[in-house]
Amino acid sequence: MSALHWLTASEAQREFGAHRLSPVELLTALLARIERLDPKLHAFIRLDADTAMGAARAAEKELSAGRVRGPLHGIPIGIKDIIDVAGLPTSCHSKILVDKIATADAAVIAKLRQAGAIILGKLSTHEFAIGGPSFDLPFPPARNPWNPDHHPGGSSSGSGAGVCAGLFPLALGSDTGGSVRNPASCCGIVGLKPTYGLVSRRGVFPLSFTLDHVGPMTRTVADNALLLDAIAGHDPADPGSAASSARYFGRMLDRGVRDMRIGFVRHFHEVDKPAHPEVTAAIEDAVRVLQTEGAQVRSVTLPSLNEFAAVNRVILCSEAWSIHAPWLRSRPGDYGQLARQRLLPGAFMNAGDYVGAQRRRLQMIAAVEEALRDFDVLICASSMDPASRIEDAAETSRTYPRQARTPFNVTGHPAVAMMTGLSSNGLPLSVQFVGRYFEDATVLRVAAAYERGTEWHRMRPPIG
Amino acid sequence: MDKELIARLAHAAGLDKAWAEFPDDVASAAEQALGNKGGISFPEDPAAEPWPPMRAGNGL
Repeated sequence: MSALHWLTASEAQREFGAHRLSPVELLTALLARIERLDPKLHAFIRLDADTAMGAARAAEKELSAGRVRGPLHGIPIGIKDIIDVAGLPTSCHSKILVDKIATADAAVIAKLRQAGAIILGKLSTHEFAIGGPSFDLPFPPARNPWNPDHHPGGSSSGSGAGVCAGLFPLALGSDTGGSVRNPASCCGIVGLKPTYGLVSRRGVFPLSFTLDHVGPMTRTVADNALLLDAIAGHDPADPGSAASSARYFGRMLDRGVRDMRIGFVRHFHEVDKPAHPEVTAAIEDAVRVLQTEGAQVRSVTLPSLNEFAAVNRVILCSEAWSIHAPWLRSRPGDYGQLARQRLLPGAFMNAGDYVGAQRRRLQMIAAVEEALRDFDVLICASSMDPASRIEDAAETSRTYPRQARTPFNVTGHPAVAMMTGLSSNGLPLSVQFVGRYFEDATVLRVAAAYERGTEWHRMRPPIG
Repeated sequence: MDKELIARLAHAAGLDKAWAEFPDDVASAAEQALGNKGGISFPEDPAAEPWPPMRAGNGL
């Protein structure tokens, strides 16, 4: 058995089933690791150790009596602090909401409890999932386990850092312009933005209603599928929730990619936002791995990344303004500077801008749908650069928008980012796979084939 | 963008306090908004509809 903190959820589940490990033993090991490493990483805003231990003891009793609540029974999970967990604050990493206690579980938390998961606590985020990394907030920003001087990506920063560092095997993040896939890319883990509407957002503090997604963050593709199985499903109380029958997201993980048609969106990283040469080389390597596994890869063209980003921004800022206007008017000084700067543009958009962006969005959706008629999945860049130094505000501001994730918030297609190499300074590089609506299982199938063909998922950050 | 125009737009948006306390952030936001709008090829076809579609249902 691996060291307990490196066990995946799937491995821990097997060990529990064979009575070689108990939830209390696993949680005890993780709490010791959190105590040792979190003062450097700041993944947690609030660790709920006592409640988690109570849940682990209950799970241990039930499992030893042969009562299995669900596939995540006894498995610890960290939760981004924009998602409500009853009885805990949902601060959104902001002074504005620092004392707001959630009175009910978000829909995804209720589903996790049903599946038997143990809620470990609330994790760092960029303020309101948009303003970071920042040093002028009530809590420090999370740091990258590969090198704590670097940014772990955001906005689901604590989720990415904690999964990567072995503080917990599973985490939930949210993704409006790439906020699950950015930390997955910076930290070298697996982050999925599911199809829009597949996972309920009820009880998740909104950033942009038509762009927001909740997604699983894990160290392996199999765990990602396992977590998605637990949280997916129709929720009539979420107006964006889809009545989809998509289920069993791990069912095709072993099928490989032989004869699959993969469209390679080269212009994103070669023309639209030219990538760091090491990123380009890593993406080319990923393509070669899939070709070796039998996939047919051809180039495909989508609308330009810059226009996707502009559409994303106009929609995001307009919708976010409708949420934040009262606080931006009355308490502008209670926001950190980055959140204030990123939310205020909504005040200068008008109705025509918003509807115009939504009209262009439909055309962009049609373009991606057209491409996915000829291809089973698309492959493209995720981040164009390795993670910046966290205290280098200019470098972070230069590299932050250099990414290819926003297109799939605009279109709602499922997209997963995962590790595809290490830069010469020891930071993860990444690639992204994108699929048809509600074919999240196919996206994970390709990711699993890539994972099997490489050793990146076995690499551990040098954090001890 | 002209500073006086930004001040008028900020006032119209109810951002007097933000304009008084963080004029640079407000000015930069106005510039960003302009830049983002400028990056979109808005549809020329008058019949091009927005997403999400308006859907018939049980009513509000």
